[in-house]
Amino acid sequence: MIAGNRPSGYANVKIAGKKDGTITAWQSESWSTGGIGGGGSPPIPYVFDGIPNQRKNHTAVSTNCGGVRAWRAPNHQQACYLTDTAIEDLAAKLNLDPLVVFEKNLGLTPRADVYRAQLQKGAELIDWQKLWHPRGQSGPGSIKRGLGVAMSTWGGGGHNSQCRTNIHPDGTVEVELCTQDLGTGTRTIITMVAAETLGLPLGAVALKIGDSSLPPSGASGGSTTVGGVSSSSRKSAVNALAKLFDAVAPSLGTTPDQLAAVDGRVQVKNDPSKSLTWKAACQKLGVKGISEMGENNQRNPGGLNSSGVGGVQMADVSVDTETGIVKINKAVAVQDIGLVINPTTAESQIHGGCIMGICAALFEERVMDQQTGYMLNPDMEFNKLAGIGDIGEIIVHLDITPEHDKRGPVGLGEPAAIALITAIANATANAIGVRVPEIPLTPNRVLAALERRNA
Amino acid sequence: MQAFEYANPASLQEALGQLGNKWGEADVLAGGTDQLSLMKEYLATPKRLVNIKNIKELGGIQNSKTGLRIGATVTLEELAENAEVRKAFPALAEAARGVSSPQIRNMGTVGGDLCQRPRCWYFRQGFGVLATKDGQALVPNGENRYHAILDNEGPAYFVSASSLGPALVALGAKVRLASASGHREVAAAKFFVKPANENAREIALLPNEILTEIIVPHEGTKNATYEVRQKEALDWPLATASVALKMKGSTVVSARIVLGHVAPTPWAATQADQALAGKAITAESAEEAAKAALADAKPLSQNGYKVQLARVAVKRALLEAVKA
Repeated sequence: MIAGNRPSGYANVKIAGKKDGTITAWQSESWSTGGIGGGGSPPIPYVFDGIPNQRKNHTAVSTNCGGVRAWRAPNHQQACYLTDTAIEDLAAKLNLDPLVVFEKNLGLTPRADVYRAQLQKGAELIDWQKLWHPRGQSGPGSIKRGLGVAMSTWGGGGHNSQCRTNIHPDGTVEVELCTQDLGTGTRTIITMVAAETLGLPLGAVALKIGDSSLPPSGASGGSTTVGGVSSSSRKSAVNALAKLFDAVAPSLGTTPDQLAAVDGRVQVKNDPSKSLTWKAACQKLGVKGISEMGENNQRNPGGLNSSGVGGVQMADVSVDTETGIVKINKAVAVQDIGLVINPTTAESQIHGGCIMGICAALFEERVMDQQTGYMLNPDMEFNKLAGIGDIGEIIVHLDITPEHDKRGPVGLGEPAAIALITAIANATANAIGVRVPEIPLTPNRVLAALERRNA
Repeated sequence: MQAFEYANPASLQEALGQLGNKWGEADVLAGGTDQLSLMKEYLATPKRLVNIKNIKELGGIQNSKTGLRIGATVTLEELAENAEVRKAFPALAEAARGVSSPQIRNMGTVGGDLCQRPRCWYFRQGFGVLATKDGQALVPNGENRYHAILDNEGPAYFVSASSLGPALVALGAKVRLASASGHREVAAAKFFVKPANENAREIALLPNEILTEIIVPHEGTKNATYEVRQKEALDWPLATASVALKMKGSTVVSARIVLGHVAPTPWAATQADQALAGKAITAESAEEAAKAALADAKPLSQNGYKVQLARVAVKRALLEAVKA
């Protein structure tokens, strides 16, 4: 796992548009601190990188702090915030629904059709048409409600990965590779791919991971694990099965290419009456089992995985304007990840991404003391994270289409953790009628923004 | 964690005999939710740890005509769920419920809540209860967003961490302390003290004493607590207010308003008390009292927002107290 401190990201952004919401120009002065090595440069304007006129100046600031590391979609949360808050502000200035402005400018993004469908789905799930109101027009009372939207992209792909499938004469099967499971379901998807390839139930495949004596497979980073391991495990299982068919074909009176592995049996494709149980088939191997490798080459995945996804996330928040406390009513995530291997673990990972988004939007901040150089909140007491009561309702919609399926797995870990931060920030601006120009949206900052509005 | 001797006495008398005369000789262990954190961080390095959870006489809640007796080892959850407490002292029940982690409510005790050390992050990083480095106070020029906005001229800048403290002060409670030579009773308002130097403590308890029980008198007040806390899950309040009102009809005869998390001790806002006398509690009078309560606030460089939050806490606690 490659992770650490997330760098900061700041910018003064000027964005120009026509009355109908068409964006015509972007200008930004940005800076960020990434510790001792300086800061990463957030890719702005984000997603809408086709804005025709752009002037950008970025300064990386070195500080005497620990170096910047990847932190679940490095630089993307910052870029998303800097871009999509500017677009939301433009929409508010033009008295337009931000959803209209986002849709209007999809031609400036690399995947207009995907985002259009996702924006529509998200709007339906959060009840945008009914609940959205122009900025600041949230009615009487001290609790103000608002909606916000933001969009994300991520590369993903499949990292280099090797896998070994062993079929033993007693019918047992092992799949071995030195990958890791961060709790995201890597074990589940490797087992699913191997079991489905071999025509076996999940319980018949023993998976070994997490040991460097096993065939090498990439570290967790870049949302490339599923792409890599599903490809290598598929190939090694296919190769092992071919060897098994070689051994079994003569006894079924056919050639290996006429065999299929289905429902725990090896059978002749056009004549299921000619078949052997998996165990009986494996006994044909004699004393020596099969051990076959499969490999994913990151640079040449052979169509088994690809890269580039889009996602839309929306937030419905309530803000107590007397205390500055922001509460999440609902979050919606619509995400394309290419081919979905296991929807349950994929949805779970998006839930996790949303929760991290809520944590970053409302709570998380590394507090460094300028006098002592100490981090003052290196614990779960003051390095605040959301609990169950803080996350509201999270609705996840996997964007599954035949077109996405054809691309193979792309990667999910990082794209799911980008846009909600900005959606919450935009929802807060929509609710209280003024931009809080920093995250986390602490009571201190929200109250200060309200004071500026009222001044 | 530094090695220590563990004592597990069965009676108060036995426990008192195992305490020392100086801080650092022996610490008391009840729920351990703060004590163990302090020991893991080497902020507490007692030679002996005296477990008081097995001393029966320190537990239980008993009601009498004069008041409610709450044993020191009653857990915050027991307190929050106790029917008598909820009926007569909702300010106290709500304060206990505000300790927003079920784990801490189930382990943490009433005595522990009062005796816990400050949560000031400079203190927790080893810069002492007065948060100094090379003789210089770190808080005034440092990260002081959670620090005191009242009684903050130094040398202490932390806020009292006790959740129950403000409610107990508002309710006129007394704290009973025992030592080998006898018992004494201290008003809750006097139990919390601002330390004058690094060796002083922020409570009146002495190293050879154990907090045994709390007595909350039946004064027939309408009372409530309101906490401004950013998170629903485990989080410290940014400001709290506990109020206890003696009423005649809908008129306030006398009021006690006590703020939490704004000063090194629970802060009795006597100006607000006076502002309410003879009035009915309305949105307007509550707002006036809230303003009066914070009239003397002098925020540090980063915590001006806490003045507003404390005002909101006062206003909402007052309105809650008189809610039918």
